[in-house]
Amino acid sequence: MSSRRTARQALIVCRKELKDSLRDRRALWSILFSVLIGPVLIGFMMNRLADRQREADMVRVPIVGLNRAPTLVNWLNQQSGVRVVEGPADAEKAVREQRESVVVIVPEDFADRFRASRPAPLQLISDGSRNDAQPSVQRVQLLLQQYAAEITSLRLIMRGISPAAVRPLAIEQIEVSTEQQRAAQILTFIPMLIMVAGFIGGMQIATDSTAGERERGSLEPLLVNPAPRIALVTGKWIAATLAAIASVCLTTVLCAQLMRLMRLEDMGIRLEIGPQHVGPILLAVGPLCLFTAALQAAVATLARSFKEAQTYMGVLILAPMLPGVISSLYPLGNSPWMYGIPMLGPFVLLTDVLGGRLPDPSTFLTSAGTCLVASVILIRITTALFRSEHIILGR
Amino acid sequence: MIEITDARKRFGSVTAVDGVSFVAKDGAITGLLGPNGAGKTTTLRMLYAVMKPDSGSVRVDDVDAVEAPQEAQARLGVLPDGFGLYPRLTAREHLDYFGALQGVDSGRLAQRTEELIDLLDMRAIADRRTGGFSHGERTKVALARALVHDPQNILLDEPTNGLDVMSTRAVRTIVRRLRDEGRCVLFSSHVMQEVSALCDSIVVIASGRVVAHGTANELRHQTGCDNLEDAFVALADLDPGEQP
Repeated sequence: MSSRRTARQALIVCRKELKDSLRDRRALWSILFSVLIGPVLIGFMMNRLADRQREADMVRVPIVGLNRAPTLVNWLNQQSGVRVVEGPADAEKAVREQRESVVVIVPEDFADRFRASRPAPLQLISDGSRNDAQPSVQRVQLLLQQYAAEITSLRLIMRGISPAAVRPLAIEQIEVSTEQQRAAQILTFIPMLIMVAGFIGGMQIATDSTAGERERGSLEPLLVNPAPRIALVTGKWIAATLAAIASVCLTTVLCAQLMRLMRLEDMGIRLEIGPQHVGPILLAVGPLCLFTAALQAAVATLARSFKEAQTYMGVLILAPMLPGVISSLYPLGNSPWMYGIPMLGPFVLLTDVLGGRLPDPSTFLTSAGTCLVASVILIRITTALFRSEHIILGR
Repeated sequence: MIEITDARKRFGSVTAVDGVSFVAKDGAITGLLGPNGAGKTTTLRMLYAVMKPDSGSVRVDDVDAVEAPQEAQARLGVLPDGFGLYPRLTAREHLDYFGALQGVDSGRLAQRTEELIDLLDMRAIADRRTGGFSHGERTKVALARALVHDPQNILLDEPTNGLDVMSTRAVRTIVRRLRDEGRCVLFSSHVMQEVSALCDSIVVIASGRVVAHGTANELRHQTGCDNLEDAFVALADLDPGEQP
């Protein structure tokens, strides 16, 4: 009976705090901005990388004097990802003005010299100062070298010499695209972004309804109501948690949309966030939101003023970032003990879920359990603080 | 009825309340008069159970406020020092929030809200956010909020502090009306005129002690002063610790 009344009072407080914070337009915008800036930034960086990757894969080779070297053109067109086009009249100007990354010029005497087995000239026009053109230039150079090597082999065989004799080295080039690597690295920040979104989302209510409430002088009238302190603290805590979860959902949806737009599979990266991931993501992050909101409320209640509380939040926000930062420096792997640490467990779970591996249900339980236990302890501490005259009536 | 017996409260080395006892009866306005720092607010805070006395007892309608603070609070309507409104909520939402926390059922709450809006003449401001309210308007909201659950006992901590004449009159009218309804009203102030104009019984408090208790006439008689202000000064002087 009495516990039902307590629960109802907690709900009343929760509803009021949500309504109150939704009307704080300025704070709402600042939350929205801080939550959205991360995914947008990542999306932008990924997009640049993906563009470059695609540019390098798909190369356009403008050739001036196409009909002077039909075999070369034929051979090039047979290579995958290569498209030969008629080169511009003034090739040097076109490259200088950045209309083309690279232009190949086949001089008049190319065919004659080629037939005579004398070095046939080819001009490769490029601009070494343009970084973004480098992948295309290198690709074209490589293609021409390959063509030359094939011709060499054919000529040697015609003369009865094994091509192996002129290949003292057998160089096997293993292509590790740096763009791809960089992209994969950037994606490790997504679990961290989601966790930080949870932190930022709950922060406003957790501080405004504790330190802010006291500073406004509205805490004393509130405490005059016949409601147990645990009802008040729980209501504020749940409101902050709901805001945190809303912020997590927003970030997740935004990341999912960005991933879809960027067609990551082109870059050979497997990272999908679809509707089927919403459940696991919330299971991983929901308990974390309970925990961060409880932590924020406890710390803010201890702070002497709203400003001081905000300063503490600036330090606390490092906590959800820590696992992400560490894992980008040292691979964390996943050991069972990790799920038993409030910030780390959800991070490992998120990384697994986003990486397309559904973790074992028991790991979800371990992570949620520890977050919940830690939250309950923190809420008890906050409730005790709310009973202290020293804290509630100022010092 | 509110009864406080030999209550004491210390903050570190400072004794804020040093053995305060008095009774505030139903159907009467009791004034708690004292200079700044005399212990009025601390006494009231013990009465509305936000502070626990170090020793002594507080009873509200025969409920022990130290043992059962929430039961006592359910019988109290309180206007604390500094109103503490939520700037982003409307006047009506303040009543809804506190009424709900007091456990007033929604039908009754809606009815009660309308009554209070009329009583305090708040129709024009009822659905505006309190952020831009004047001092008088804020007082009205805080007063309505204190009365939303129809409490038998009403504690007002310096309610007319900083109010203009019109608003002060409005508050006095409400306070008298509450008394006439048979409620117990306890009213703290450091302004003598205020107290003498309004109160049926006056408790003078200085340095955390009750130095006199009676009607305005009794106090004048007791000190031999014609004027209540002189009487007050004489009473405040009774405690040598109070004066520097």
